[in-house]
Amino acid sequence: MERVLEDFVTAARTAGVRISISETLDAARAVETVGYGDRALLRDVLAVSLAKTAAEKQLLEDCFDRFFSFGFFAGAAEREPDRGGEDPSRIKVESSLVRMLMEEDRAGLIAAMTEAARLENLSQIRYLTQRNLFAFRLLSRMGVDDLDRQLHSMRAIDTPAAAAAASGLEAAKRYLVENVRNYVQNTYELFAGDEGLRRLEGELRLIKLSNIEQRYFVRIHEIILRMVKRLNDLSSRRRKRARRGVLDFKRTLRENISCQGLLFTPSWKKKKIDRPQFVVICDISRSVLRTVRFLLLFLYGLNQEIARIRTFVFCTNLIEVSDIFDRCPVDEALSRIQGGADIPLIMGRTDYERSFGDFRRNYLDAVTRKTTVLILGDARNNYNDPCPDHLKAIYDRAKRLIWLNPEVPAFWGAGDSEIRQYSPYCSVIRECNTLNHIERLISALIRS
Amino acid sequence: MKEKYQEHLASIPVLEEGFRSVAYIADRRIATTVYLAHHLEKPILVEGPAGVGKTELAKATADYLDLPLIRLQCYEGLDEAKALYEWKYGKQLLYTQLLKDKLDDIISRKNGFSSAMEKLHQYDDIFFSWPFLEPRPLLKALQEKDGAVLLIDEVDKSDDEFEAFLLEILSEFQVSVPEIGTIRAVTKPLVFLTSNNTRELSEALKRRCLHLFISFPEAALEREIVRRRVPGISERLTRQIVKFIQDVRELELKKVPSISETIDWARVLTILHAEVLEPVLVRDTLNTFIKFEDDIAVVAEKLHQLTATAVRQ
Repeated sequence: MERVLEDFVTAARTAGVRISISETLDAARAVETVGYGDRALLRDVLAVSLAKTAAEKQLLEDCFDRFFSFGFFAGAAEREPDRGGEDPSRIKVESSLVRMLMEEDRAGLIAAMTEAARLENLSQIRYLTQRNLFAFRLLSRMGVDDLDRQLHSMRAIDTPAAAAAASGLEAAKRYLVENVRNYVQNTYELFAGDEGLRRLEGELRLIKLSNIEQRYFVRIHEIILRMVKRLNDLSSRRRKRARRGVLDFKRTLRENISCQGLLFTPSWKKKKIDRPQFVVICDISRSVLRTVRFLLLFLYGLNQEIARIRTFVFCTNLIEVSDIFDRCPVDEALSRIQGGADIPLIMGRTDYERSFGDFRRNYLDAVTRKTTVLILGDARNNYNDPCPDHLKAIYDRAKRLIWLNPEVPAFWGAGDSEIRQYSPYCSVIRECNTLNHIERLISALIRS
Repeated sequence: MKEKYQEHLASIPVLEEGFRSVAYIADRRIATTVYLAHHLEKPILVEGPAGVGKTELAKATADYLDLPLIRLQCYEGLDEAKALYEWKYGKQLLYTQLLKDKLDDIISRKNGFSSAMEKLHQYDDIFFSWPFLEPRPLLKALQEKDGAVLLIDEVDKSDDEFEAFLLEILSEFQVSVPEIGTIRAVTKPLVFLTSNNTRELSEALKRRCLHLFISFPEAALEREIVRRRVPGISERLTRQIVKFIQDVRELELKKVPSISETIDWARVLTILHAEVLEPVLVRDTLNTFIKFEDDIAVVAEKLHQLTATAVRQ
């Protein structure tokens, strides 16, 4: 009986319920106390000991219904009575399987099937391609070879009665195979349903964003939302702890000197975590656009209380777009900027000198001692003069300046890439072209 | 748990009946959880919207099993001193002052500082002994010889440090007071933790407990609750009230009325000697179960429609 519970816990974990070992042990003890007799009671007991949030309870109950469903071999009555009026009991019963099929012994068939599944370790199924193999193994265990032998011997006899009996037996065999296949499919969905999806997600985090196809955009969207939610949860909890502090003894003593050392007013150590301020300057020429989109999706997903962001985009010249991003979602904002006629952005060849110059002239007051400046671009200036003085001015004012380059480091400095000229004025230059990079970067930025 | 409640907790139907006898109408899941909690000796974490009967469950259990109910209300800043035990500092100081002469006697008879100290050491445990210990709810629960029902209310309002401290108590049911020693529970109490889900509880605490989610009941159950809690109410009025409230719960409100509000409204209508729901009556008593101005406006719009459906019951 523990096997059943173990399998159920595995199935529940696949469905997304987080179950630890101690909870499994609790569930085992609880089920021992209560017994397996009553289905509704068992459901309640498992829900109470395994699922610890309302959402998990729902998932667990669905999983329970699927796992303990015994709706197989139900259509026994609808088999084609293809016997030409022959009495079915005339078919010689040569094996227990044939007997069960002929007598439509549903319970017996289900018991035989689940026993075969247990012996063949059907709960280990992981891949879609294993279904046929497992179905074959299950059928062998159940004794389908004997059935085949009987069928063969029946066909060898050349009488109409034998022919009718043989077709009846064939119909029974088809029925058996179909139900076993359904059972294997159901088990596959319970135990390995999300395996493919999970692997896809792992891959998506590592693929270069510039290479991702359009059809994966929605998935990436979801992954980003999940990462952002995690970051939000982590950061908000930390902030709460910082509001209250421990007793600052030295300051207390100092403040209470006037009371002759009596600790009249205690004072507390206050750790103030400031909301980090970001200024993001993005190159939106086509080569970098994908990465820009996902990075902005990430940043704007962060809770308002965690970071303040001002966004600028440039191609040939530079403009501020924070208000557009505040008002619309990231995708819409980006398409508005690219296509918008009312936005004074010139989409010609990338000109870093003019863009940085624009920033220095018009927006340098956005950068203060506490600001982190993020520049996202590949530093390819089309062989124009890079003029790093503008960047120097920004770097001197900011707390730090981080350059994110979507190209692989091997290409930095090759061709018209001016990253080498800009590097003295950057605190750090990072490669940023997969989701993992973005996530690591943002969590490091928020933490510091 | 002593033998005298063995028969009270013999099986789940017995428990359900028992709850009914103390005017708490529980569904099967609640009775199952309490049954398991007793037999597995695990605490129960009860979650759900406000007013649904979480605290009532603990009270009903204490009533039914005839055990004392020890209640600890959590808030941010609750620490060990207020939850576990504290020394009666005032008493200690007072006694030292009163026994000052006696102390002088003891010390002065011996000459020499070290011998005086030695003499004092023999007595130093007197001021840190049981009479000077002020037990707070958690320690009280451990000390009850026949067991108790411990209700830790609104655990999500406390902070992380308190949760960590609670974890230790809930798993071992023992506490060590440095001056006195380890105090073990003679009979393990039945522990209820309630939470309103204002924040995520730590995983460790959740894993240690059995999790019970009480949501709004179905109509039949709610009718039974109203019948038990408001004696003398007519069957017709009960049906109408319950139907009305169930419909109101479907609306988009800031705070959805829960069971305690239903009971309050039923009581108010009984006091006003109402036999049937009428729009005027409903409008006048709307603020018994709706607590926000915006919500009152929303319900008032649909008032006639809802009353008509309810009256048809």
